Amino acid sequence: MSDIFRRDPRTQWIARNRLHPLHVANIGEPERGPSGLLRKNLHNIGFIGANGVKRIDRSGDSKGGLSGRKATTAVEIVLPLHQIDKPDFYILVVVDLVSARLNNHDRDTLGLAHHMANSNNAKGAVVAVLFGEVKEDKLDTAGIDRLIHFDTSAYQSYNPEQRCADLCNIVNELQPKHILLPDSINGGGDLGRRLAAKLDQRPACGVWKVNGEQLVCRGGAGKTDITRPMAKILLVLEECSEPVSETRHQSLLMPVVSSVTVKQRILDLGNMSVDPNAINLAEAGFILSGGNGVKDWPEFHLAAKILGATEGASRVAVDDGFMPRDRQVGASGTWVTARVYIAVGISGAIQHMQGIAQCDKVVAINNNDSCDMVKRADLSAIGDSSEILGELLNVVRQHAAEKPVNHVVINHG
Amino acid sequence: MIFDPSLNIVTLVSIGEHPLSGRPRRAEQDARALELGLKLVADNLQVLYIGQAKSPATVSVLKDYLGMGLGQIQVLDVPPQADISNTLLENFKANCPDIILTGGRAENGESSGMIPYLLAEQLNIPIVTSITDIVSIDMLTGLAEVLQALPRGQRRKIKVSLPFVASVDMAAPAPRQSAYGCAMRGQLVVKDFNQSIDDVGQRHWQVNSAQMRPKRLKIVKAKTAADRFKAATAKIQGGSGKVIYDSKESAQEIFKLLRDEEML
Amino acid sequence: MSFAEFLPQLLPILILLGLVLAVIGALRRILLWRQGQESTIHWAGLFSIPQRYLVDLHHVVASDKYISNTHVATAGGFVLTALLVILIYLFDVATNILNYALLASSGLMFVGAVFVLMRRINPPPNLSLGPWSRLPYSLLIFSSSFFVLTLPASGLLPIDSGSWLLAILLVVGIIWGVGEMFFGLTWGGPMKHAFAGALHLGLHRRQDRFGGGRSTGLISIDLEKDKLGVEKPEDFKWSQLLSFDACVECGRCEKACPAFAAGQPLNPKKIIQDMVVGMAGGNTAKFAGSAYPGVELGSHKGGAVIPIVDVLLEANTLWSCTTCRACVQECPMMIEHVDAIVDMRRFETMEKGKTPGKGAEVLDNLNTTDNPNGHAPSSRMNWAADQNLAVFGSDVDRADVLLWIGDAAFDMRNQRTLRAMITLLRAAKVDFAVLGDCECDSGDLARRLGDEATFQRLAKTNIATMSQFEFKHIVTADPHAFHCLKNEYADFGGHYDVYHHTGFFADLVKNGKIKLNTNNAISLTYHDPCYLGRYNGEYDAPRYLLEAMGINVKEMERSKSKSRCCGGGGGAAVTDIPGKQRIPDMRMDDANSTGAEIVAVACPGCSQMLEGVVEPRPQVKDIAELMLDALCEEVV
Repeated sequence: MSDIFRRDPRTQWIARNRLHPLHVANIGEPERGPSGLLRKNLHNIGFIGANGVKRIDRSGDSKGGLSGRKATTAVEIVLPLHQIDKPDFYILVVVDLVSARLNNHDRDTLGLAHHMANSNNAKGAVVAVLFGEVKEDKLDTAGIDRLIHFDTSAYQSYNPEQRCADLCNIVNELQPKHILLPDSINGGGDLGRRLAAKLDQRPACGVWKVNGEQLVCRGGAGKTDITRPMAKILLVLEECSEPVSETRHQSLLMPVVSSVTVKQRILDLGNMSVDPNAINLAEAGFILSGGNGVKDWPEFHLAAKILGATEGASRVAVDDGFMPRDRQVGASGTWVTARVYIAVGISGAIQHMQGIAQCDKVVAINNNDSCDMVKRADLSAIGDSSEILGELLNVVRQHAAEKPVNHVVINHG
Repeated sequence: MIFDPSLNIVTLVSIGEHPLSGRPRRAEQDARALELGLKLVADNLQVLYIGQAKSPATVSVLKDYLGMGLGQIQVLDVPPQADISNTLLENFKANCPDIILTGGRAENGESSGMIPYLLAEQLNIPIVTSITDIVSIDMLTGLAEVLQALPRGQRRKIKVSLPFVASVDMAAPAPRQSAYGCAMRGQLVVKDFNQSIDDVGQRHWQVNSAQMRPKRLKIVKAKTAADRFKAATAKIQGGSGKVIYDSKESAQEIFKLLRDEEML
Repeated sequence: MSFAEFLPQLLPILILLGLVLAVIGALRRILLWRQGQESTIHWAGLFSIPQRYLVDLHHVVASDKYISNTHVATAGGFVLTALLVILIYLFDVATNILNYALLASSGLMFVGAVFVLMRRINPPPNLSLGPWSRLPYSLLIFSSSFFVLTLPASGLLPIDSGSWLLAILLVVGIIWGVGEMFFGLTWGGPMKHAFAGALHLGLHRRQDRFGGGRSTGLISIDLEKDKLGVEKPEDFKWSQLLSFDACVECGRCEKACPAFAAGQPLNPKKIIQDMVVGMAGGNTAKFAGSAYPGVELGSHKGGAVIPIVDVLLEANTLWSCTTCRACVQECPMMIEHVDAIVDMRRFETMEKGKTPGKGAEVLDNLNTTDNPNGHAPSSRMNWAADQNLAVFGSDVDRADVLLWIGDAAFDMRNQRTLRAMITLLRAAKVDFAVLGDCECDSGDLARRLGDEATFQRLAKTNIATMSQFEFKHIVTADPHAFHCLKNEYADFGGHYDVYHHTGFFADLVKNGKIKLNTNNAISLTYHDPCYLGRYNGEYDAPRYLLEAMGINVKEMERSKSKSRCCGGGGGAAVTDIPGKQRIPDMRMDDANSTGAEIVAVACPGCSQMLEGVVEPRPQVKDIAELMLDALCEEVV
C-alpha cells in the first residue's frame, strides 16, 4: 500500500457531524487532520475532575482517559418533574418491595396507576404504600406522587392482617378511586385479596390490560380472558402497563395514618433454613448439574454444598446411578427455571436443552468446546471438570476467608 | 403423622381442567389440599364439593378424588350460575370446622382465588395462604404451625390460631394416585342446596380463550437521533457466550458471575 | 422266610401305601388349587396331555438337546416303570414280557438318571439345588431297585439269588424310590412337577397356546368386581395356582430375564416359587435357587389369605418386569409369568394406587390427554403439518389402509420413522389415511402398568372412532399398538386385520410395489422387538426386508425368540426400578459384539431406549428409515 495519505471525506464528515449515526462509533478511531496528521480530539479524552472541571492527564501513566470518557458520556438526564399539588383523586398502589427494592412488577403496577391517574386529563395522584425497610433510591422516577411508609419493626416480618388493617384505614381516609396491587406471589396477591374480602369488594384479579373502563383479566388459571367493567380493586399482572420512564415525581411523604394494632392471629416464626437439595428442582434458583463428564462425584456433591446450589443431573448420570431420578433435568425429567445453571460435564442432549430453556444464565464446564451446552452457555470453562470445580471452590474459600459473610436473617418475627 | 382424630378438617375440592386438553380432572392444588388433609387425619377428613352434582364431568372428577382413598364426598348441588362462596358460608356458619383446606384458585371460571379469603373474612377466622404443610397442631392452646411456600423453594414458618382457612400451594407434596377401585366404591352424598344466590357480578362479563400477550419490546428512550438510529439498526448483542480455556481464570469468571447474580 | 418270599409280600403293601398317600396328597394339592378363583375348566384338554407333552413341551425343551433327550429317557422310563411296577407287583400280573419290559424301562430310566446326575455335577446357577439335587439319586435308586428286583423274576438270575443284605438294600431303595416318586409326586417333592405339570398342560388357561397356536394378549377383567387384580394368592384363578405348581425350577426363565440380568430385583423362577409358597403357606427360606438381585433370601413369608406385596415379595419385583415374555417363551411348563405379574400389578394400581416412578403421572396424562406425556391432544398431528395426510372423517371416510400413528407422533426421533413410512406408502401408491387428532394411545402402557380401567376406556374410544370409517387393514410402526389392536381389542368388539409396517412392506416388496436397491453393503444387526417377535411371531418379515436391500444381517447371539428386551416394555421405562446396570446398555453390548455399525429396529420404544445409550455406539435406525434410504425412485 502506498504511504500517501488519502483523505476520506466521508469519515471526516462523520467526525464533524455529531448527529451522524456512526459518529459515536468513530470516536475511538485515530483522527487525522486535513493534512493527514494524527490529531487528538480533546472532546473525547480526559475526565471530569472533582470540581467539575475537565482534566486531561498528559503524564501517560494512567489509563484514566478511557474511564474518564465514560464518565463524561454518562450524563445524568434530569427528567421533568410531574407535580400534583391538589389531586382530584387518589390511586392507591401497594408495592411488594421484595428485598426492600421495587421490582419490575412494582414498577409496572405504578406505571398503570400513573396512567389511570392521568388519563382523560384527570389529575389524580398515585399514592404508594410501602411496608418495611426501603433501600430503593429511585422512588421518584417510579411514578410515586405520594408516599405512605410503615417502617416500624413489626413490618419487617409477615403480618398480613396488620397490613390489611392499615390499608383499610388508609382507604377510609383517602377514599382512593382505585387500589392497585401486583398479583404476585411476593405478597401483593395475598394482601390484595385480604383487602378485597375485608372491604367486601370484588377484585379484578389477573388484570393484564386496561382499556378505558374495561379490564381484561386472565381467568381459568390462565386459559381464558375475561373482559369486565372497571373494578375498585385491581390485582394486576406483570407487564400490564409500561413503567413510568419520562417523568420524575414528588414522592411526598404522607403522614402515616394512626394505625390501630389489630390482634395478630398469624405469627411469623421466621424463614426456615432450607437444604438446597430439598428444594424442588423446578423451583430452585441455583442449580449445579452433573452429567456423564463428572468423574469425581464426591467432589461434585461437596461443590454443591459449598456453593449452596441445588443438585441436578443429566439423564445419563441418573441412569448410571450417580444421582436419584428426581434430580434429572430435561424434557423427561424436570423443566427448571433457575437463574444460574451450571452444567458440569453435560454435553447437552436436545431433551436436556429443552429442560433448561428457561434458565437465565448458563455456565458450562466441559472438556469439549464444541458441544451444544457450550454453544448455549453464557460462560464456558473448557478443561477437566474436577480441576475447574476445585479451583472454583478455592476461590470461594479464599473469598470467604477474606470477608466473613454476615449471615443476615430476614424476617425474624 | 396423624393428629387428634377429633380434629375437624374439611377440604374443599373443585373440578379442575387440564390446561392443554381442557378435560376435567382433579384440580392440582385441591388434590394437594386433599393429600394434606388425608395426611393429617386420614379417614376423619371431610371432603366437600359445591357445584352441579349431576354433570358427568363432575361425577368423573369427584370419583378421581374418591380414588385417593376417601369413603365419601359431600356434594352440595347448586345451579351453574350460583355464587358458591355464599353457599359455602351458609354451610359453615352453623358448624365451623377447625381447619378448612382449599386450593389457591380454581382452574376454570373466574379463578380469582377469593373463596378462601371470603370464607375467612365472613367466618371471622384467620387465613394462611400458599401453605405446604401443617407441622403441628396444639389443641390446648389452639395454635397450629404451618409452613408457607415462598418463591424459589424457600419456606416460612407461621403460627396461626385455630380455626383457620388454609390455601395449599403447588409446592405441597404431590397428591397420591387415584385408584380406580376406591373411586368406584366411594360414595357421593348429594344434598340439594336451595338457598343459593346467583352470581350477578359475572353477567356482563365476556369470556374468551386467552390471547397471547404481546411480548414487551426493549424500548430505547434515545435522546439523540444517533442513539435512535443505532437502536433501530444495531444487531442484538449476546448469543455466543464467553469461552475460557484456563481453569484458574474460568474459576474466577464463574465466581464473578455467581456474585453478580447474588448466588453466594 | 426267605428273601424271595418276604419281598413279594412287602412290595404290594409298600406300593399300595405309596399310591394311597399319593392320592391323598393329590386331593390335598387339588384343594390348595381350589383356593383360587373360578375359571373355565377345559376338560377336553386332559386328553391332549400326551400330545402337548410330546409336541409343545418338547418343542421348548428341545432347544437344549442334552436335557431334552435326558428328560425323554428319564420321564418315559419312569412312566413305563411305574405302570409296570403297579401291574406286576401290585396286581401280580407276572408275564415274562412284562418283566423284560420293566427291565428295559427301568434301565432306560437309569440311563436317563445318570445324565441328570451328570448335569448336576457342576450345576449352572439357574438350576435350583436343595431337593432338586437329591432327585437324580432318587431316580437312580428307584430305577436300579426295580431293575435288580426284576432280574430274578425275569429269570435272568436264579430266584433265590441274593442275600438278606441285598433284600434290605432293596427294601430301603424301594421305600426311598417309591417315597420320592409316588409320595413326593403329590406332597411337594421335586416330582410334583410331573403331577401338576401334566394337569397344567391339560387344563392350561390359554388353550390356544398349543398345537402351534399363539395366545399372548392379556386377559381382560371385569371392572365391576369387588376386588380388581390379585392381592392374595387366593385371588389368582385356580388354573394359575395349578400352573405355579408345575414349575420345575429349571431356571431357563431366569437365564432369559433381562431384569434379572440387569440386577433388578426380579427372578421369574423365584416369583413362581413364591406364589407356590403363598398358595401352600410358609416362608421363602427353603428356596434353593437364586434370590431376587439385591433382596435377601428368606425374609418373606406367605399364605393363601395373606397379601402378597410387601409380605411375600417386594413391589419392586413386580415393577421390574418389562413384560418381554422371554420367561414365558422359555418355560417348558408353559407357565404364564407375565399374566401373574400383571394381575398383581392391577391390584397395586387400581386398588392401592401405588404405581411407582412416573407411573401415576403417566396414567393421569393418559386420562386427561390420551397420551402418556401430557401433550395437547390437538397437537397430535403437528408433526405431519407438511405431509398433507388424508384424515378419516375430515378428508375421507374410507381407505384401504388405516395408518395407526401411535405416540411416536409426539416424539421427534420417531417422527423420522413415520415420515419414512409415509414416503414409502406413497411410493407404493397405497391408499391410506390416518385418524388424526381422534386417535388415542392404544392403551398398551396403561394395561401393562395394571390400569385396566384406562386401557379399556382407551380401547373402547379407539374402537368407537374406528367403527365410523371403512378400511381393510391397519398398519402401524409400533409393535405395542400392533399387539393391542390385533390381540387385545377383540375382547371389546374390535376385530381388525392389523399389520406391522415390516410385514406390510414385506408384502409390498414381494409384489413389486416397492423397489429397493440391493447394493447396501451395510454392517448391520437387527434387534427383534418383543411385541413383534415373541408376542406375534414375526421374525421373518424384517429380515426379508433387510435382505431385499442386500444387507447381510449379523445376528446377535440373542435373537429371534431369544431376543433380549430393550428395557422399555411393560412400563419399565416409566417405573424405572433401579438395578446394577441398564437393560438397553446390555442390549447395546449384544449389538456391539456383532461389530455392526447399525442396529436396525422396528419399534419406536426400542429406538428410544437404544438411542439413550451413551455414545460411541452403533447408530439406531428403524427399518422404514433404512428402506427409505434404499428406495428406488420410479422414473416418471
